Amino acid sequence: MEIYLPIAEMSVHWLVVLGMGFGVGFLSGMFGIGGGFLLTPLLIFYGIPPGVAVATTASQITSVTFSGVISQWRRRSVDLKMGAVMLVGGFVGTGAGVYLFSVLRRMGQSEFSVSASYVILLGAVGGLMLNESVRTLRAARNGASASGRKPGQHNWIHGLPLKMRFRQSRLYISAIPVVALGFVVGVLSAIMGVGGAFLMVPVMIYVLRMPTNVVIGTSLFQVLFVTAAATVLHAVDNYTVDIVLALFLILGGVFGVQYGVRAGAKLRGEQLRFWLAVLVLAVAARLFFEMVATPADLYSITAGTP
Amino acid sequence: MRARPLLAACAVLLFAGPAGAEEDLVSGLSQDSVQITSNYTGTDLTVFGAIEGRPELETGRETIIVVVRGPDATVTVRRKDRFAGVWINNARARLVGLPSYYFLASTRPLDEIAPADTLRRYELGLDTLRPQTALSDGSIMPYVRALVRAEVKNGLYAQDTQGVEMLSPTLFRVRVAVPASVPRGFYVVQAFLFRDGTVISAQSTPLFVDQTGFERRLFAFAHERPLLYGLSTVLMAVLLGWFSTLFFRRGM
Repeated sequence: MEIYLPIAEMSVHWLVVLGMGFGVGFLSGMFGIGGGFLLTPLLIFYGIPPGVAVATTASQITSVTFSGVISQWRRRSVDLKMGAVMLVGGFVGTGAGVYLFSVLRRMGQSEFSVSASYVILLGAVGGLMLNESVRTLRAARNGASASGRKPGQHNWIHGLPLKMRFRQSRLYISAIPVVALGFVVGVLSAIMGVGGAFLMVPVMIYVLRMPTNVVIGTSLFQVLFVTAAATVLHAVDNYTVDIVLALFLILGGVFGVQYGVRAGAKLRGEQLRFWLAVLVLAVAARLFFEMVATPADLYSITAGTP
Repeated sequence: MRARPLLAACAVLLFAGPAGAEEDLVSGLSQDSVQITSNYTGTDLTVFGAIEGRPELETGRETIIVVVRGPDATVTVRRKDRFAGVWINNARARLVGLPSYYFLASTRPLDEIAPADTLRRYELGLDTLRPQTALSDGSIMPYVRALVRAEVKNGLYAQDTQGVEMLSPTLFRVRVAVPASVPRGFYVVQAFLFRDGTVISAQSTPLFVDQTGFERRLFAFAHERPLLYGLSTVLMAVLLGWFSTLFFRRGM
């Protein structure tokens, strides 16, 4: 049965949309990621207008992350203070990103900038992850333990002013990098339809040096609020949130996550990271190929005035 | 709505039609509105008609053309150019007043029916469509052709020179495919009777395409109260996320 999407103004098959939600939810549960970076390109590839894809994916991530936040909350692994400070930057960044997106849309460059930011970010993050996981896998095979966080080690972050104490993370650091990280993630969430966890988690671990047990909970907390804000702002500024599409993506997504978590528990951490890196690089490569390959038609049509 | 071809059609109706033409054309629609609902996947509309008098369709002296036009739209067409190996939208044109939907059916190839300037006057044929106004980088024609190409691919523009089905020497029928992506608004169905290259009779019938029920209300909600709509979407997302955890906790 086909369903009609009132905002995208097109018909889609409900099973395809439900399946996309489930598949991306599965991967997101397995790898502990939001999955927006997979869902947005997938929807665009299926023929959903990029604006609707970005905005509606944000609402799907809100839903999928909500259940994650609840379970992390029960385990007390959310650093509320860190999350709140980060959200200050996050909300400003989301607002700026939604505005930037509508400007780019009027210039006719929204598609290009979405693809370009995907290629750059996914390429960089995927490359780093692959490098790291290969080294860890090799080290594990050689019997040596991989080097992790060295306690007491200081970096440039500690020289910044406006220091705050984050008790749960056992950190005394400047608020500036925390707010800045929130801001960057907010912008990305608005223009790419992603939660930004794939960027946030490495920065939290390697730059802010947060303990790993609060990283996931705090980043989920941040993603939940930023994607919720992105959904509302896209609805107000661009009228691009399709609630019917969101419903099917969410229904597929919330079930996919649960099965994904179960499947992920059977795999080892380094292996998970290796396969996630491969997946991220594959998406980046595909998008890059589309940017350089000669398009079938050089002309593209947009409704309305530029 | 488009002024030029409509006026021309009206003129024919007023003067040529009743003023002692041997044949007259009457046409109607299977339905006067199309409602887009949640399971809408496109529909077939039937335009039927009759020619009063003694038509000479078999000999080829007379021909019928049926056109369905959607509401006029403004579109932006962009052309990609290659910069440093990457394709980026570079030049653009804004085309105002091209139909958002165009379907033409006739009994014979258009160039055999009437001279090119007559076809252009009534905008009969995909290659006669021109914007009312346009703002473009360079000549508009590549952009117009690109738009026609894209809309044919989307199923919103179609032309079938054998699309008029003769049920008897005087009765005809045309099946019009209305895909799911048709824009909402007022459509016009025009039927033309040509004789020796000139229009001797024409008729136009309005058609209304609209979203109904739930879809219509959601669309209106999203556009009239966007803040509330956005918040509702987030609320739905959060509730569904929450329910799923309850469901799975019990299931385990």
